[in-house]
Amino acid sequence: MNRSVLYWRAASFAVAAGFVALWQLIADQRLVSPVFLPGPDRAWASLVRGFASGDLLDKLLGTLEHMAYGWFVASIAGIALGAMIGSSRTMRSYVAPSLEFLRPLPVSAVIPVAIAMFGLTQSMALFVIAFGAIWPMLLATIHGFAAVEPRLYEVARSLHMSRLAIIFKIALPSASPDILAGMRLSVTVALILSVVCEILAGLDGLGHWVLLSARSFRSADLFAGVILLGVIGYLTALAMSMVERRLLKWRSSGH
Amino acid sequence: MNRIAAVNQSANGPRPGRAQIAFSGVTLNLGGKAILENISLDVKPGEFLCIIGASGCGKTTALRLAAGLYQPTSGTVAFDGKPMLAPRRDIAIVFQDYGKALLPWRTASGNVSLALEASGMAASQRAARIDELLKKVGLPNHAGKYPAEMSGGMQQRLQIARCLAQEPKALLMDEPFGALDAMTRQGLQDEVLSLVRASDATVVFVTHDLEEAIYLGDRVIGLLPHPGRIGIELKIDLPRPRDQLTTRENPEFLRLRRELFDFIKASEA
Ligand SMILES: Nc1ncnc2c1ncn2[C@@H]1O[C@H](COP(=O)(O)OP(=O)(O)OP(=O)(O)O)[C@@H](O)[C@H]1O
Ligand SMILES: [Mg+2]
Repeated sequence: MNRSVLYWRAASFAVAAGFVALWQLIADQRLVSPVFLPGPDRAWASLVRGFASGDLLDKLLGTLEHMAYGWFVASIAGIALGAMIGSSRTMRSYVAPSLEFLRPLPVSAVIPVAIAMFGLTQSMALFVIAFGAIWPMLLATIHGFAAVEPRLYEVARSLHMSRLAIIFKIALPSASPDILAGMRLSVTVALILSVVCEILAGLDGLGHWVLLSARSFRSADLFAGVILLGVIGYLTALAMSMVERRLLKWRSSGH
Repeated sequence: MNRIAAVNQSANGPRPGRAQIAFSGVTLNLGGKAILENISLDVKPGEFLCIIGASGCGKTTALRLAAGLYQPTSGTVAFDGKPMLAPRRDIAIVFQDYGKALLPWRTASGNVSLALEASGMAASQRAARIDELLKKVGLPNHAGKYPAEMSGGMQQRLQIARCLAQEPKALLMDEPFGALDAMTRQGLQDEVLSLVRASDATVVFVTHDLEEAIYLGDRVIGLLPHPGRIGIELKIDLPRPRDQLTTRENPEFLRLRRELFDFIKASEA
C-alpha cells in the first residue's frame, strides 16, 4: 500500500521533470522564438528576481486577496442561501426554476453588468468572483440539505431540539460532504475569475502582471506569473482536499 | 449482573391504575386510505406490550402514533391522561434502521451526548453520564468509535443507549432486532429485559417474531391488516425472570406460540 503510493509519487514526479526537460530542450533548440517561449531557467530566474524585488509578491498577495474575499463571500452566502432553500420543500419548488435559469448563465455575461454597476473597481471584482463561485456551493448545499436522512429529523423532533440545533447538529454536518466538495470546486472558479477581473479592471494582481508582461514581450515574467497561478491552483486544491479528509474522517472509516 | 437482572425482572411489571398510553377509537388515514381503524388500547405504566402482525398491517404506524409523530384522523392518543399533540422527550423511540437513526459523523459518545445536549444537561456532567450509559448497554470500550466502525448489534445498542439518555417513561421499539442474527438477537432480548426492568419504563415493542413477542411481553397484541385493527390480545403469564431455554420450552409458551401462529396464518389468508 505505502509502497505503491511511493511508486506513484515517484512516477508523477518523473513525468513532471520530463516535461520541464522537454520545455528546456525546445527553448534551447529555439524551436519557438525566445520572445514567446523562455526556457524554464529564464522563467525561474524571473521568478526569483520578481520575489527579490517584492513586485511579484505584491501581485501574488493581490490575487490571493481577490480570490479569498470573493470565495469567502460566496461561501457564506452560498451556504446560508442553500441551507434556507434546501431545508424547505416549498422554498425548493419556488426557487429551483429561477436557479435553473441563472446557473447556466456564463459569468462572462455578468461581467459587463457588474462593470456598469460598480465601474472598474474592487467591488466589481468582488461581485463577479462571488457570483461565479457561489454556484457550486449553493447547489451542493441545497442538495445536501434536501438529502438529510428524514429519520434524523424524527430523532430531533422526539428530542425537542431547537431549529438552530437541528441546523447545526444535524443538517449542516449531514450536508458537509456536499458543501466541502462545492467549496473545493469554487476555489478554482474564484482563482480564474480573479485573474479575469484583474486583466479587465487593471487591479493589482497576477492577472494584471501577466497582461503587462505579455504586452511588453517580457516572456520570462509572463511565464513566472503563469507558473505562480498554477501553484496557487494546485496548493489551494490540495489544502481543500486535506481539510475535507480531516473533517470527513467519519466517512472513510470502517466499511 | 444476572442476579441483579433477575431481581429487577421479577420486581415490576404492569402497575395498576391509570393507563400511561391510551388509544381510544383511533383511526388514521394516510393518502386517503385507512391505515388503522378504531384502535382502542390501554398500556399500563411499567407494562411490556408486544405488537405483532403481518407485514404492512400498520405496526409501525401505531408506534408512530404513540410517539406523537403522527396525529390520529379521529379518536385520541393520550399519554399520562393528556392528549399527545407532539413528540415528547420522555418517550423514546428505537428505530429498526439503526444505520439511519444514528449520526454517522459523531462517535458513540457523541451520539449519546446528542440526547443529553437536547435535555440541557451541562457539558461538565455529560461525560460521566455518557460513560455510564455506554457501560449499561455493553459498549464501554467503544466510546470513540464512529457508527460505521461498529457492527449492527453494537449500533442498535448505541441507539438504545441514546434512548435511555432521554430517561424515558416509555420506550417504543420498532422491530429493533429485526436486522440482527439469532445469537445477537437473543442476547439483546435479555439485555433489554433487564435494562427496562431496571428503569421502570413502559415498553411497546413491535416485532415480526412471534416467539420474541411471547418471550419479552406481559401482553401481546396481534393486528389484522387492511385496515389495521386489533385481532387478538393475549396475556402472557410466563414466570419472570425469563430464560432463553426454560421459558421457550414451557408448555404455556408453546401453547401461546401456537395460538399466535394460527392467528397470523388466518390473518394472511
Ligand atoms: N406515509 C404513508 N402514506 C400512505 N400509506 C402509508 C404511509 N406509511 C405507511 N403506509 C401504508 O400503511 C400500511 C401500514 O404500514 P406500516 O409501516 O405501519 O406497516 P408495518 O406493520 O410496520 O409493516 P412492516 O412489518 O413491513 O414494517 C402499509 O400498507 C403502508 O403501505
Ligand atoms: Mg414496520
